[in-house]
Amino acid sequence: MPILVPEPHDEVCFREDGKRLDGRAVDELRPFSCEVGVIKNAQGSALVRHGKNLIYAAIYGPREVHPRHLARPDRGILRVYYRMATFSVHERKSPAPNRRENEISKVIREALEPVLFLEAYPDSQIEVYIEVIAADGGTRCASTTAASLALADAGIPMKSMVVGVAAGKAQGKVLLDLGDKEDKVGQADIPCVVVMKDKSISLLQFDGEMTLEEMKLGFEYVLKGAEIIYQKQLEALREKYNKISRQAEIEDAELSKETPKEEKTASESTDTAVSPESSDIFKSDVEAESAENTRSAEINETPEASETPSTEGSETKTSQEDVSSVGKEAKEENTLSEESAPSEVPPQAGEDNPTGDDK
Amino acid sequence: MMDINDVVSNLERNYILKLLKQGKRIDGRGLFEYREVKIKTGFIPKAEGSADVFLGDTRVMCGVKYDIGAPFSDNPDKGVCTVMTEYVPIASPMFEPGRPDEVAIQLARVVDRGIRHTNCIDYKKLCIKEGEYVYILFVDCYMMDYFGNLTDASAIAAIAALLNTNLPGAKLNEKGEPEWDGTYAPLTIYEIPLSISFGKVGDVIFVDPNLSEEMVLDGSIAFAVDEKKQVTSIQKYGSATWTVNEIMETSKKAIEIADELRAKLKLRQHVQQSNS
Repeated sequence: MPILVPEPHDEVCFREDGKRLDGRAVDELRPFSCEVGVIKNAQGSALVRHGKNLIYAAIYGPREVHPRHLARPDRGILRVYYRMATFSVHERKSPAPNRRENEISKVIREALEPVLFLEAYPDSQIEVYIEVIAADGGTRCASTTAASLALADAGIPMKSMVVGVAAGKAQGKVLLDLGDKEDKVGQADIPCVVVMKDKSISLLQFDGEMTLEEMKLGFEYVLKGAEIIYQKQLEALREKYNKISRQAEIEDAELSKETPKEEKTASESTDTAVSPESSDIFKSDVEAESAENTRSAEINETPEASETPSTEGSETKTSQEDVSSVGKEAKEENTLSEESAPSEVPPQAGEDNPTGDDK
Repeated sequence: MMDINDVVSNLERNYILKLLKQGKRIDGRGLFEYREVKIKTGFIPKAEGSADVFLGDTRVMCGVKYDIGAPFSDNPDKGVCTVMTEYVPIASPMFEPGRPDEVAIQLARVVDRGIRHTNCIDYKKLCIKEGEYVYILFVDCYMMDYFGNLTDASAIAAIAALLNTNLPGAKLNEKGEPEWDGTYAPLTIYEIPLSISFGKVGDVIFVDPNLSEEMVLDGSIAFAVDEKKQVTSIQKYGSATWTVNEIMETSKKAIEIADELRAKLKLRQHVQQSNS
């Protein structure tokens, strides 16, 4: 039983003023926007809105291959699952994957493989899940754009971003980025995926009637359109980090409001922790020298703690001597302060001799 | 699904259990505190109705499509509504592509029963010609991000999408076949069922388990509650056992929480008056 409201299938793809039905020029893209990091569970994810297409892509991996026999010992495998939601199209689609979805999954995989370093992931798989929530013509192109974004978002090294965009022909005119109706009633459709680094084509399909000249014009349009989408991809990836840095700035600002108190309390607590110790040893000291006191106290403590447990036999003696002499030295240094500059030398010399004898 | 131990470490597991026994939750909620719910409707142009529901970080998208077909022979004057759930692997590293497994089928049936047994949709209005042509509604829920309690999120998504639905009207032509009469109208929905799920660990019971709690709990129970403060459907999941007393107490709690949630969500605002 056919559903009540049929889709329009007249051949008209242009308005009276020569523009396309949605008011675009022949070489104009539909409105495009994208976003990354939209699915929290995924390693990387992206949402692409291309015309009325609404497409989510998520990356899981690199991770273990299931079933095991698909694993390759010398390289990783890429698995792409392109699926359409039952409510994404005019007439409800059965939830089971059909032949069309399987084919599109394969061509998208082959469009992505050339930009990945799969040889770096032996015995593993990278999974790309694409879910078309709303379809509006050109879903395989928009899906590839989304997959590329999601892979970049997942931090998987890539030679280049890829961008999917279609050219086609309707009512005798070559068009960029076919809409739903142009796709269905038009004369030709060339979905392309462009590797942005060298402008090579990694996905190419074609059906319809077109002369070679028209096809060349179509490719020109595609390269022009891809560049625009590419810039938006980069923007979306940057935006993710801009968001993080903005968030960090806000948190920083909040922290700096709180920290002055914290810093004070922290420094106070250390002061109070050390000063009684030092004041015990050097009761008569002047306040100005307290900083030096603390330093010497540290010197006093550290060698004892680190050396005594690990040393053996005669060495312990020397180390103990070392420690005590350092302690003496420190004491003298502190108690005598400026006057003691010459008197520092003898104990040092005395200290050097025994160690030299032992060796 | 993967072994739960792969997802929650023993350390985290013990910590969650310890907290629950003290009446605390790992995400800082109280035992009977629901996560925040956000709903967006009408965003899928080709679906008759749609909803995108966030329950905390759990996300479920739902779209409603229709078809014209023959009614069931025992209800020749009533339309049909089927709920289906898809555990799309986009949502979690634990979900795998393939046919819906028993977990997905159970979830679909629980949500379906919540709607079916609540006198929710006016099925008689979905009949075009008795015994021959009725509307068949497909309510398809897609799990988009899994952070626990898909039952409640799906139930909210399903009812929000149904409220948001506009069906093309039908009339019979000379041949007696249905034809579009040029209008669209929202569904007639009498009752808004909500689902409230509880988890159980030992003898601690808590509402709306999140992902890590769902991984360690012994069992859970979902109640569908209608606007008349009645429990219309119950499903027990997992291997925990519940005493009659616990079930009665939890039912009361479910009605309370559902009431609160219903007042907060104001789901009827998602009804879309058709412009034709």
